[in-house]
Amino acid sequence: MVDPIFQSSNYQLASKLLDASVLRHEAIASNIANSETPGYRRLDISPDFATELRARMDSGDIASASQLQAKLSEDANARSMRPDGNTVAIDNELLQMNRNEVEHDFLTELISRNIKQLRLAITGRPS
Amino acid sequence: MSLIGSIGSLPSAHLQRLPGAGGIGGTDTQLPTIRTDGVGGASGVAPADFGSVLEKMVSAVDTKQKEAADVTRKVLLGDSDNLHQSVIAMQEAGVAFQLMVETRNKVVESYQELMRMPA
Amino acid sequence: MNLISGIDVTAGALNAQKTRLDIVAQNIANTQTTRGPDGQAYQRRVVSFETELLRHQQQASGAGQSLQSVKVAQISTDKTPGQRVFDPQHPDAGPDGMVQMPNVNLAFEMVDLITASRAYEANLSVVKNARQMAAKTLEIGK
Repeated sequence: MVDPIFQSSNYQLASKLLDASVLRHEAIASNIANSETPGYRRLDISPDFATELRARMDSGDIASASQLQAKLSEDANARSMRPDGNTVAIDNELLQMNRNEVEHDFLTELISRNIKQLRLAITGRPS
Repeated sequence: MSLIGSIGSLPSAHLQRLPGAGGIGGTDTQLPTIRTDGVGGASGVAPADFGSVLEKMVSAVDTKQKEAADVTRKVLLGDSDNLHQSVIAMQEAGVAFQLMVETRNKVVESYQELMRMPA
Repeated sequence: MNLISGIDVTAGALNAQKTRLDIVAQNIANTQTTRGPDGQAYQRRVVSFETELLRHQQQASGAGQSLQSVKVAQISTDKTPGQRVFDPQHPDAGPDGMVQMPNVNLAFEMVDLITASRAYEANLSVVKNARQMAAKTLEIGK
C-alpha cells in the first residue's frame, strides 16, 4: 500500500530516463575515448528505447514501462569522416555530453522535488 | 468514580465512531490496548480494518527498505554502477518509513485525545 | 564501486593519450639526433591505438553493446628513411659527405601534439562532467 505513492507516471518516467541518461554518458565517454581508434563506430542509446518507452507510457501500463531497460548500440546514422572508418566527431560528442548533463540535472531535480513534496505532505513540515 | 470505570461505561459503538479509533473499541470492561510501535492494531474484538491496515503498511515499508538495501549492496560490491538507483531507492524507503511513523504518531495522538475525554 | 559512470573507459583513454604525448615529445626532442645507441640516425616512433572491450557488468547479461576503452596497441618505428644532408664537416658524415638525418618532421609532430592534447582535455572534461552528475545525484531528496 506504500507503493502507490511512488506511482506517479512522471516520476516513473523520469526514473527510467535517468537510467538512460547515465548510460548515455558512458556511451559518450567511450566515444570520446576512442575518437582516434581506427574502425571504431560511435555508440549511443538504441533508438528503439525511446519509441518503446513512449508506446508503453501511451498505453497507460506504467509497470511495463518501468521494466524497460535502456541498451547501447552502434549509431547507424553516424557517417565516417575519416578514411579509417572511425565515426566519432569530437565536437559533436562534447555537445551531446553537455546536453546530456542538463537532461540529467533536470531529471534529478524532478525526482528530488517529487520526493520532497511527498515528505511535506506526510510530515507537514518542509524538510 | 474512577476514571477507568467511566471509560468502561461508554458504549463501544460511540468509541468506534471516533476518527482513527476504529480498532480501539473493545469490550466494556477492558481498557483498549494499543501497541504503540505500530505493529498491529488493538488486541481486542475490533473489526480488523485499522489493525490490518497498519500491519500491511509495516510489511510494505519493510519490503521497500529491503529493496533499497539490495540495490545499495549491489552498488557497494561493484556489481552495479547505478548510483542514482541506490539514492532514489533509499530516499523512497525513507519517505515510506516517515509515512509509517507519522501514521503511528497520529494514532497515538488520537488515543491520547481519547483518554483525555472527560467522563 | 564504480560511482562515476564511464570512469574506466576514460582512464584508459587518458593513459593512451599520455603515452602518445610522451612519444611525440621524444620525437621532437630527437629531430637532430644523427647517431643513436645503435649507431643509426633516430627513427620516429609511432603510437597505434586499439579498442579494449570492457566487461560492462550491467550489460553482461544479454544484449547491448559493451563499452570500449582504448589502449596503446604498440609503439612502432617509422622506417621511412629521413633526409640526407650534405655536410662534410658533420662528425657523423659518411665518406660521401652526406649525413643521414632523422625522419622527424617537426610540423607533423606539432600537429600530433596538439591533437593529443585536445583529446586529453576532452577526456578530462568527460570525467569532470561525470563527477558533477554524480554530485547532483547525491543531492536527490535533500
